[in-house]
Amino acid sequence: MRDSDATAHATADERARRIETQLSRAGLGLVPRMGRRVSDRLFDRLLHLLTIRHPRAFTAFRAMPDACLLIEPVDTPMAFLLRVGPNLSLRALRRGAAAPGDVGGVTADAVVRGPYAQLLDLLEGRIDGDALFFRRELTIVGDTALILALRNTLDGEEMDLLADAMSFAGPLAHALPVLRRNAGSILDRLDAARRLLPSPLRRGLARVEARLSGLAPAPEA
Amino acid sequence: MDGFELICPAGTPAALRAAVDAGADAVYLGFRDETNARNFPGLNFTREDVAEAVAYAHARKVEVFVAINTYPQAGGLGPWRRAVDDAARLKVDAVILADLGLLDYAAGRHPDLRLHLSVQASAANADAIQLYREAFGVRRVVLPRVLTVPEIARLNAQVDVETEVFVFGGLCPMAEGRCSLSSYATGLSPNKQGVCSPASHVRYEPRGAALASTLGDFTINVFGADEPAGYPTLCKGRFVARDTPAYLFEEPTSLNAMDLLPDLKAAGVRALKIEGRQRGKAYIGAVVRAYREALDAFAAGRPVPRSADLQAMVEGGAQTTGAYKRAWR
Ligand code: SF4
Repeated sequence: MRDSDATAHATADERARRIETQLSRAGLGLVPRMGRRVSDRLFDRLLHLLTIRHPRAFTAFRAMPDACLLIEPVDTPMAFLLRVGPNLSLRALRRGAAAPGDVGGVTADAVVRGPYAQLLDLLEGRIDGDALFFRRELTIVGDTALILALRNTLDGEEMDLLADAMSFAGPLAHALPVLRRNAGSILDRLDAARRLLPSPLRRGLARVEARLSGLAPAPEA
Repeated sequence: MDGFELICPAGTPAALRAAVDAGADAVYLGFRDETNARNFPGLNFTREDVAEAVAYAHARKVEVFVAINTYPQAGGLGPWRRAVDDAARLKVDAVILADLGLLDYAAGRHPDLRLHLSVQASAANADAIQLYREAFGVRRVVLPRVLTVPEIARLNAQVDVETEVFVFGGLCPMAEGRCSLSSYATGLSPNKQGVCSPASHVRYEPRGAALASTLGDFTINVFGADEPAGYPTLCKGRFVARDTPAYLFEEPTSLNAMDLLPDLKAAGVRALKIEGRQRGKAYIGAVVRAYREALDAFAAGRPVPRSADLQAMVEGGAQTTGAYKRAWR
């Protein structure tokens, strides 16, 4: 199936989710430009917020022995280092550091690697981690018990990372539910409008949407 | 005739809600310790979680069963007895036990607590099942996954205990509650510590495009670049014998007995069980929903819908009807 066909056949909800995922991925692309101190503070704040929203999981993380998990979305420039134990922390760093081993001065005990969209779905419990692993879409290296403990603890939550992250972004927090509620119908209306366009324009639009939703690579800058 | 009861797994409170919302008749779960056979890191329920789970499920007319199905260690009965006492106090609908001593304790201490016999007890013949019934008042037995459908039918004709059978999920090809393979490789077993092939002893190593899975000192499998991966459970390992790598005991397939609903009904089975307390809530929601639709269609005499999604979720990407239709037996 061609990409544009795949885009057309996905439900409005699936397309809205893809676009949401893609936008959050683009947002992560800005992190390296922030500088270390600002990025560290941002992730401290996010962790603090998640701790308030999901006390059961984050209390469990603090009670675990000190260990570090490197989360590597293979299609972003960034990776994340989650340290569990009494010194719970979350850091963003440039992807590509060899692991398990020394990453930004900290040793990773385990690594989870996979496409960003799948990792986000996994974090929010929208997708089954074992099934991804069986299909080889997810790679895990290092301390399997650590990965399993984190996965099981997070899966016990009902997490909406984007809404959680947005909740400290002021007015944007209020915009997200409205956008989500309406994303399906907006996309449906756009579809109807698109059908009225001449075909070269229609194909151009499909290409842009596929790029935005991550189904097609962005043109080289 | 009554329809089948659908018994569904939950390893976390979120998974329990997913199972209840997807149409479970009962959800089974375990406490957060070695008293149950899915003692995995980060999994299972605290006492408070169970209280909340019971409230959530009962409000929706769904039952909660607690599995306390490992074998207590000599001289250390405390955790198992406390688990039984707490399950009774938290007003769960049944406990699923395997050990004779613990069955005796539960029957004596909590005469109103409904007792189910775990698959871990491996009760596969009428005499054994009747004994559990007469001695402890066991009301239901979960049958080991080694029986064919005709054997189940014969058994049901001989016992006055309800039977529950596994219809979906991972398979134990050995006599359950007796398997020592994990113990041999790691010192930890599902029967005592509640975990087969524990994650603490599991490693996955990329070898070029291939992926090796190891358990303790043993390489259990090497998956080629395009091959689906699996857990490094010893019974599903690929070993080299006479220079040929092969699955010597069992292939990494998953049970799916959806096609056998009429046969299981005719055999007198009361309840159908989905395996997978260790799986995520997305898996549990999808499998329970598919089985709910199938059972509703079956009860109404409609054709049973096939769920394509289930295939993608199972180990090895392949499904089997297991021993139920095993030709060589
Ligand atoms: S090794 Fe296989 S048969 Fe034995 S307990 Fe584990 S899964 Fe079951």
